[in-house]
Amino acid sequence: MNLNCSDRDRIFEDGTSAEWTALEAHAVSCPLCAEEVRGWKSLSIAAKELREYSDSPSFWPRIERALAEEAARKAQGAQRKRWLSFLPSFSPAWQTVLAGTVALALAISGGWLIFHAPGQKTEGDKSLLQSSALKEVESAETAYERAIDKLAAETKAQLENPATPLLANYHEKLLVLDSAIADLRAQAGLNPSNAQLRYQLLAMYQEKQHTLEEVLEAKP
Amino acid sequence: MGLALPWKARISSLPRERGTRVEPFEHLAGGPDAAAVDATSEDAALAAGCRSGDLRAYERLYATHGARMKNLARNVLGNSVDAEDAVQETFLKVQRSITSFRGQSSFVTWTYRILINTCYDAPRSRLRKKEVANDDSEETPRMEPRAPGAHPTLRMALERALEKLTRHQRDVFLLNEVEGFRHAEIAGMLEMTETASKNALFQAKKNLRLMLEPPRSSAAETR
Repeated sequence: MNLNCSDRDRIFEDGTSAEWTALEAHAVSCPLCAEEVRGWKSLSIAAKELREYSDSPSFWPRIERALAEEAARKAQGAQRKRWLSFLPSFSPAWQTVLAGTVALALAISGGWLIFHAPGQKTEGDKSLLQSSALKEVESAETAYERAIDKLAAETKAQLENPATPLLANYHEKLLVLDSAIADLRAQAGLNPSNAQLRYQLLAMYQEKQHTLEEVLEAKP
Repeated sequence: MGLALPWKARISSLPRERGTRVEPFEHLAGGPDAAAVDATSEDAALAAGCRSGDLRAYERLYATHGARMKNLARNVLGNSVDAEDAVQETFLKVQRSITSFRGQSSFVTWTYRILINTCYDAPRSRLRKKEVANDDSEETPRMEPRAPGAHPTLRMALERALEKLTRHQRDVFLLNEVEGFRHAEIAGMLEMTETASKNALFQAKKNLRLMLEPPRSSAAETR
């Protein structure tokens, strides 16, 4: 095989065995190529200096432990996945129903927790009347209402024909109070356990009682 | 011309035949074909063992390639601690993603590809930081002191010169000249063509010679 110096780099990059043999034969009579070939090969020999295959006895046990831990974690993950593996056996429609049921259960549980949370229990007791207390309040209210009605009956004549502007104002105030009482009673009828409504109703009755007393005192 | 180094013991220009590098499987008995067949079946057995989660398969992989993997990682990262971390991480990555290994390349090639990527992904890699900074200024050598070899000064000079190569040139040089992989294997590891691997090695060696040898005299050029 005939070659010259210009073939050298190509052979260095991707030469066949035959080409290398030919290049080395050429190098015998070409000092520049001989130097280049020597330099090229010496790099390969120098590269051996970067080989250091030392064995570290603790290295494999360390890797093995890490692999075992990873395998254990993987197994745990697979177990968790298996727990849900029944899902794909259901049709999409049944999966939707199942998801809906779960969502409903969650909503109910959430609602129950909101109303029965330990932090809110005291406040809940205050705002909601238990059935026995409710009966007591209702009977007290009825008695109070009857007493106020008696008082109102005594002032009826004065208020229907007010002799003074003050009595006329009392009359108007009582009409407003009666209207407010009627509204509150309607609300309390819808939500009888609501203690707040009962307190407001009581306040209205008390205001009506004071107003009627003032009407009686204002009798000319 | 040998390598110009500041020490007397320049490498003798050994008249070597075509084998300009040390073959990786020199110890294997039989001809190259027999070795290739053995390697292929061993590779398939390793892949199957690792896929089934057999720790003994990983141990075999370590026994066969662990030292080379660590050496490669140390030459890329510059120290043994990071190299061991990278090799361990590589084994874990192999374990995690073995199910995605489809056998397009050999299992060992795939493993080395993971190792190389792990080395370059290592956040503590000083080499990588240096590449990003693109700083050519004189720095303290990143390489840790290693066991004394035959030519410690040569090794240090080579390590410093390697740092100045491009990543591909350095990787191909380390895989071919140091670890003894063939270009076909390197192409699979670095996801490049065989021709690109050969070209990268050629460029790497040309650049290394420029860095390690004194400038030629004009007289020598005209010879």
